[in-house]
Amino acid sequence: MEDLGNLLLGFSVALTPVNLFWCLVGVILGTMVGVLPGLGPAATIAMLLPLTLKMDHTTAIIALAGIFYGARYGGSTTSILLNIPGESSSVVTCLDGYQMARQGRAGAALGISAIASFVAGTVGVLGLMLVAPPLARFALRFAPPEYFALMVLGLAMVVFLAGESMVKALLALLVGLWIATIGTDLFTAESRFTFGQVKLLGGVDFIAATVGVFAIGEVMVNLESQGGAEIFKLAKGLRNLLPTLQDLKDCRFAFLNGSVIGFVVGALPGAGATVASFLSYGLEKAVSRHPEKFGTGVIEGVAAPEGANNADAGGALVPLLTLGIPGGNTTAILLGGLILWGYKPGPLLIQEHPELFWGLVASMYIGNVLLLVLNLPLVPLFAQILRLPYYVLYPLILGISIVGVYSVNNSLFDVWMMGLFGLLGYLMRKLDFPAAALILGMVLGDGLERALRQSLMMSQGDITILAARPISGTLLFFAAVILCLPVVRKVRSWRIEAIERES
Amino acid sequence: MKHREILFPITIATIMVLSLSHAWSQEFKPSKQIEAVVHTGPGGGSDLLARAIAELLQKEKLISQRMQVVNKPGGGPAVAMSYLAEKKGETHTIGFFTGVWVTNPLTTAEANVTVKDLTPIVRLVLEPAVIAVKADSPYKNMQDFIEAAKKNPKKLAQSGGTITSRDNLMRLLLQKATGAQWNFISFPSGGERLSNLLGGHVQMMVIEPQEAGEQIRAGNLRVIAALTEKRLATLPNVPTIKEQGIDIPLIPQARGVVAPPGVPREVIQYWEGVFDRFEKTATWKQYLEQNQFEDGYLKGPGLSKFFDDLTVQMREVLKEAGAKVVR
Repeated sequence: MEDLGNLLLGFSVALTPVNLFWCLVGVILGTMVGVLPGLGPAATIAMLLPLTLKMDHTTAIIALAGIFYGARYGGSTTSILLNIPGESSSVVTCLDGYQMARQGRAGAALGISAIASFVAGTVGVLGLMLVAPPLARFALRFAPPEYFALMVLGLAMVVFLAGESMVKALLALLVGLWIATIGTDLFTAESRFTFGQVKLLGGVDFIAATVGVFAIGEVMVNLESQGGAEIFKLAKGLRNLLPTLQDLKDCRFAFLNGSVIGFVVGALPGAGATVASFLSYGLEKAVSRHPEKFGTGVIEGVAAPEGANNADAGGALVPLLTLGIPGGNTTAILLGGLILWGYKPGPLLIQEHPELFWGLVASMYIGNVLLLVLNLPLVPLFAQILRLPYYVLYPLILGISIVGVYSVNNSLFDVWMMGLFGLLGYLMRKLDFPAAALILGMVLGDGLERALRQSLMMSQGDITILAARPISGTLLFFAAVILCLPVVRKVRSWRIEAIERES
Repeated sequence: MKHREILFPITIATIMVLSLSHAWSQEFKPSKQIEAVVHTGPGGGSDLLARAIAELLQKEKLISQRMQVVNKPGGGPAVAMSYLAEKKGETHTIGFFTGVWVTNPLTTAEANVTVKDLTPIVRLVLEPAVIAVKADSPYKNMQDFIEAAKKNPKKLAQSGGTITSRDNLMRLLLQKATGAQWNFISFPSGGERLSNLLGGHVQMMVIEPQEAGEQIRAGNLRVIAALTEKRLATLPNVPTIKEQGIDIPLIPQARGVVAPPGVPREVIQYWEGVFDRFEKTATWKQYLEQNQFEDGYLKGPGLSKFFDDLTVQMREVLKEAGAKVVR
């Protein structure tokens, strides 16, 4: 009951014309930032922070949070249409989203990602409102062994990213893990695989690598296949521009899966939206009745990760608002903002400034509705991009990729890295290695290594610490089950074959 | 005719000399946007400080041009530092340094730009540090912690940044002074360091008072020592490390501004003038208070000497710690 009263207080704050206006500005800006690869919400919020000093503080955080979760909506657009991940958390969306676009279902993919984002975004806010303090306490139980187990669970998802050959997937994964080690080692401050290059001390930029492997590699492969070939089938009629009722039905579980995984993983300071999106994609495929179709344009394969990265935004605000602990770049800037506005972010923030917390929560409900209303009509518009002939489309993809990658660190070196990874992506396609497994290795490699070494430091080199704790033990158990799945499937198919032969 | 032929070059030369001397006597004033380079991504400590200062300088009307913060992350500060070195003589670029700009080149062979290659402008901030433990832990003061660490050698742990960070250097100095030994576990983000302490997975952390403040007020953390010369105004009941009988050199965490190498004298004077006035404003004082920073204002030869002294001190501490010192 108390929550309801508080929520009403929140809506009374969020529904004032000024706050409503800035919420709208925030989500529009967020969508735009999300659509453009490279420039992310963190940089945008940092740039706009000074402008908020003269605003009412609740208004300011409503606007800036709008950019944060709004960007997660826009991130899928270029992933689906052009195979360019708009945000790092939209990498997985490329897998099935881009294939859907090639089959003329770009509208359905964009539409379902907006709907999944809305559902999961709203669940994320609900969670933030109802379970923030207990979830924050639960997240504190995550020490390095638990993160290690989470990363292993993530790695086990490689089983679901493999195409024909599991060996090729594992090889790609290992290369990804190796790439993640490039740069300065956190524990010894020594450089690894930098070849004396100052620019490699910070490691390989993730956006540069993913845009290279996905977008540039794809363009190169298509260029080779006699220029004039039709890449995209075009949807005929308006009806095909949005998801059908059957699509929505197919995605029922994906909505739930994305919402829950995204929210919980989001609340862990050491994980992040990209990990959440990979996990939910894996889970979706694991429970699917037609797992073999994933990667060829399955609508759940878009809904699950897009849901996850939106629920993550709600989850990420949990440690920030309940404990004053930022989980990532964007929340670190919001924390800086809170200090600049004169708040003292910490465990007492919600209690002492209910109007701030509840105003924000209420504005996020409104913001999610605004985003859905804004994004659905944009779907047919964006889908028109695919009508462009290839001699316009390819330069456009190259242009967007270069500008996007350059804008992340203002670094031309990153653009060259993108080119290099483009070549790698091309070769991988030619030789039938799954690019997603490489990216999975890159996403998790850093966190995996770190968590392992931290755990072993905690336990004085005793490796049993990894499995002996309840949460990490459970997660590792699930990972083991997933890794056994292909074997079980193989055995079953042999048995079926044997039975058929007998009869 | 002849006259004219001679007159022309003379006139030109005169104009040139006049205009040059004019330029010499004239003060430098930025004529375009100023680029402020930071070594962290958006949301990092340097980034937040630079953005706040850019805003406050404009608010106080101390600069006439916009100051644009440019993030150059990578290799600690190495990428940002080499970027500044490449901008040799550039008058519209500055960089925000921290202590790691001094320590990083000492241990990283690839980081071939040192802070001495850049032009010192001002030191603005000194960040104090305190030692915090969980509020429900048995350690009421530094002695309790040291004794517990001695009883269980290498069983207790501290969370922190990289091994060249101040957190770890303070640990090494404390271990050397007391003979106790405990672990140091690196975490890349401040959030993870703090959540591992709050979750009870590590026992101690060297933390900035602003970061600890709210956790203390909420009863989650207890501060057992201030790593400062004098007690902190915000934590008057917490004795300094020296008061508790442990005499170790204190490593300052400094933040301030440098310029690229080889910038003209007038540019240095311009920035010193700007920050001279800025340091006295109420807005800056308020910013320092909100973040619980100490005013570390220092410029000119004093700042050069600070860099030299810190380099020598860091080299020694790192060597003693067993880190590989490359320069």
